[in-house]
Amino acid sequence: MLTRRIFLRGSAIAMAGMGEAPMWLARAAAVEGTKRKTLVAIFMRGAADGLNIVVPFGDPRYRELRPILGLQAPRQGDDNDGNGPFGNVIDLDGTFGLNAGLRPLKALWDNKQLAIVEATGSPDPSRSHFDAQDYMESGTPGKTGNGWLNRALRDAGQDSSPLRAIALSNRVPRTLRGEHEAVALGNVRDFNISDQDRLAILKNMYSLTPDAPLRRTGKDAFEAMKMLQSIGKEPPANPEERAAVASGTVGPPRNNRPTYGAGGELGRNLQQLARLIKSDAGVEAAFAEVDGWDHHQNENGQLPNLLNQFSNAIAAFCQDLGDRMEDVVIVTMSEFGRTVEENGDGGTDHGHGSMMMVLGGAVQGGKVYGQWPGLAKEQLFEGRDLAVTTDFRTVLSELVRGHLGQQDLSSVFPGFNYGASLGLLRS
Amino acid sequence: MTRVVLTIAAAALAAATAPRPGHATGPFDQRLGSDQQIVHALNRLTFGPRPGDVEEVRRVGLTKWMELQLHPEQITENPVLDERLKPLESLRLSLPDVVTKYTPEQNMGMMTMAQNPFDAINKLSQADRTKVMNGTAEERTAVLDAMEPEMRTRVLGALPPNVLAYTPKYKDEAEKARKAQQEERQAQNRARNLQLRDLLTADQLTDVRSGEKDKVLAVFAALDPDKRADVAGQLPPKSQAIVPEYRRTGQFRRAPRLVASEDLKEARVFRAVYSNRQLEEVLVDFWLNHFNVDSTKNIGMTANLGHLLIGSYERDAIRPHVLGHFKDLLLATAQHPAMLYYLDNWESVAPDSFEVGPYAPRRGTLNGVPNSILPNGLQRLAHGLNENYGREVMELHTLGVKGGYTQDDVIAVARCFTGWTVRSPENPQFVFAPFMHDYGEKTVLGHKIPAGGGQEDGLKALDILAHHPSTAKFISMELARHFVADDPPQALVERMALTFTKTDGDLRAVMETMLRSPEFFSEGAWAARMKSPLDMAAGTIRAMGGEVTDAWTLVQKISDMGETLYAKTEPTGYPDVTETWLGAAAITARMNFGAAIASGQVPGVEVDTSRWKGMDNAAIARALLGRQASKQTLDAIGTGLEGKDPSPAVIASLVLGSPDFERR
Repeated sequence: MLTRRIFLRGSAIAMAGMGEAPMWLARAAAVEGTKRKTLVAIFMRGAADGLNIVVPFGDPRYRELRPILGLQAPRQGDDNDGNGPFGNVIDLDGTFGLNAGLRPLKALWDNKQLAIVEATGSPDPSRSHFDAQDYMESGTPGKTGNGWLNRALRDAGQDSSPLRAIALSNRVPRTLRGEHEAVALGNVRDFNISDQDRLAILKNMYSLTPDAPLRRTGKDAFEAMKMLQSIGKEPPANPEERAAVASGTVGPPRNNRPTYGAGGELGRNLQQLARLIKSDAGVEAAFAEVDGWDHHQNENGQLPNLLNQFSNAIAAFCQDLGDRMEDVVIVTMSEFGRTVEENGDGGTDHGHGSMMMVLGGAVQGGKVYGQWPGLAKEQLFEGRDLAVTTDFRTVLSELVRGHLGQQDLSSVFPGFNYGASLGLLRS
Repeated sequence: MTRVVLTIAAAALAAATAPRPGHATGPFDQRLGSDQQIVHALNRLTFGPRPGDVEEVRRVGLTKWMELQLHPEQITENPVLDERLKPLESLRLSLPDVVTKYTPEQNMGMMTMAQNPFDAINKLSQADRTKVMNGTAEERTAVLDAMEPEMRTRVLGALPPNVLAYTPKYKDEAEKARKAQQEERQAQNRARNLQLRDLLTADQLTDVRSGEKDKVLAVFAALDPDKRADVAGQLPPKSQAIVPEYRRTGQFRRAPRLVASEDLKEARVFRAVYSNRQLEEVLVDFWLNHFNVDSTKNIGMTANLGHLLIGSYERDAIRPHVLGHFKDLLLATAQHPAMLYYLDNWESVAPDSFEVGPYAPRRGTLNGVPNSILPNGLQRLAHGLNENYGREVMELHTLGVKGGYTQDDVIAVARCFTGWTVRSPENPQFVFAPFMHDYGEKTVLGHKIPAGGGQEDGLKALDILAHHPSTAKFISMELARHFVADDPPQALVERMALTFTKTDGDLRAVMETMLRSPEFFSEGAWAARMKSPLDMAAGTIRAMGGEVTDAWTLVQKISDMGETLYAKTEPTGYPDVTETWLGAAAITARMNFGAAIASGQVPGVEVDTSRWKGMDNAAIARALLGRQASKQTLDAIGTGLEGKDPSPAVIASLVLGSPDFERR
């Protein structure tokens, strides 16, 4: 079995072709026995409708409150392939099922790499997108501050990569703001000195300056630049992917194989992230976001397509990483869910409880976690929304401690009493 | 982009354990030569020397020049600055007027949607609707067959594809219907948002995108005045920079509140580059960071309210007091709506206030806190005592984190400030609300405040804090850090604290103690401070003798380097140390910034590098840095450019990106 140390040295040698291996990679190789794990947080902005994404088709109240919006229960035998992202719910465990748009994730469920946590959310009752997103990204319901994912990073001092916290967007989101440096990859173009002569001269200056902090940071910067440049130049691996990326088409996957090309912008971003992870760039925390979940009207016309893109991106990423998925966990979240009852416009309004997905090789998947509160009137939050029975911080805490190894949870989620773990990770 | 940040507490701890140069015989007791002193004073009291500044200070005399900077009211302002600020109207309006003029009209809010496609389906009976959306193919087809053709087209256009897949008879018609609806929506959109190609001829289109001043202005002159703002909003940055006033008008139509804060950001850049009252601007920058407010924080249900308040905060609460008495500065920030909202004091209430009568709130457990006032539907009502301001006013504004206050003090101070609130978002004025106030007795840092006081409780608390010995030390430490070195010599800080105490917090006197000290003009202070992104931007332009006609892109670039003006989330502001601005991405942005400016690629900035024609590398470096460049920098440039014939712009871009230029 390929141990971490051999693997790292191997990568260092592989990179010898582009000049010396980065200093921080060498430092990482020197730190024995530490496996660099990655936690990827994907934020679904706009309050995704958990109930039509992971459908409680077994609950009769679902159809009662959603006579038009309700999705058809799974059909025996017929997988309804030909209808693309539209069609009957895909059965998971007899009670819950996936929206047909999430077909690419079914294989991950079957391989026990996808877990779902139901009835999750924040104790804060806000139904304001901005406030609720701020609270969730800060990890402090009711308060806004720095990001939980930044606080989740362990102190590594000098032994950490400048690319350890990556935002797959143009700006660093609140989730990644904090003491540790986070880089927005949307600015890969900007994270570069294009004039090669100038680059060489500046690199020389910074490597020799007696100003120690500048010398250190300069060195990290030039090494990160080199790495990002070499990754950016790589074309996609297979011709099908290349064509899809080139044409930017979205559509049902051919032969049911998920592709980045069908994954939209999230697909492109996760593809970049996969390259960084495979190149041992030292990514520990990554953040991506998908907009467009605020379906106040015509939800069933829009949601399946969005989910199709979403799941293609994630499934292609998992496929791309292959064995390395052992070290990667993806967690999805949304600021709150949507009303159980449909509105008059074929959509839903702001709600409360929702669901989270956790994916990865180390995940105890193939199961729906959490306590389903039921959809009877008295079981609903304020008589209208799915109640929250698992705080989102419970899910995140387990991943932060069990996967990233951060023991000090009280500083990651201040004011939160972390009870028992759900058992999402294989021990 | 963020950068490695040390919290003040961590920095203080680091300072406590690291060797302190101020105590030992270190470079802080080695005096600078007289020419060095001039450059040093320019570097610290201004945003950077411009060509000719050193000679000017030498002519006036350094002591006299510094004295004058300490009395900005005696300095005639630069007329160029006044001209640049003129279009930024919100800067001159009172807070009530800004609120009135820069609040969007109600009907401008949501874009009226094209007719909701689901309207058609909603017009059906409940039974028909269920059959159409969820029935079998036969049921659906039967309902559709029975409809009027026009109605059927509308319904077909609205049905989701999964439904239509089971209705083969009407599939084609549905496709046509959906396409027609899409086209109708697009046409409506186009009518509402006129595209450039609708407003201009092909030639005009090319000209206006060219970024060339004469061409752009010619197109605008020929354009209908009504359309100018629309056109400006769709141009590339280099063209927008030529017509900033039209861009502003366009933004004002779309998002007026944001224009108010945008004015302030652009003004900051203009002032840093052009103001003759440089020390005042450096101090406004310093004190805004000390009394940090985030203009982008969401306040209640009113979007972008903070943007309306920030201009007045800087102009009315900070600027008048930067060389006045600290206690006046403290009071002004404590009572400004921007601070009352930002640190939540506006909604801090005594636990047992207004419990009686028809307006008494419902109570329950909220966020784990028992007996909280429960929100009423979408209304976010107060939750009880909010300690945020009570804590930060001591930890960050006065005593400092190690100043010797306890959690009990935090609660007591917060109780003093209950009732210090804002009238309303529509009328954001300070008001004291007796029904929110906690009238009980409090003990703040050992001082008893008797029961029955109202607004004066807050005033007394501020008085206690302003006069606490830790405050004199903390404020002196912060000033010394900003103007002398990241880890300033203790002896200097103590002398400054003494002045603070003796003069009842006269900030001008404290500045004088600092600026006349041997430590200020010492080797230990020389080139010891890291430029903030704002320092970098203004300093680069000033060093190049450049002109700024539009500051919009500069504000973006300053943000790219890691400093979002008026939008720092944390009340600590940016920690005032080197590490704040160091980060792989940030330092890359800084290196690229200098090159962009030197090559004339930043819209709104004009530089002329011909002044250095014929000068060698070392001379150009000296002109830009105000001092000899380091051997490493000059060697690297010399080696790298060997055999080449670089323009002054290329040499300048290398100097501006060097480690030398990062410091001031």
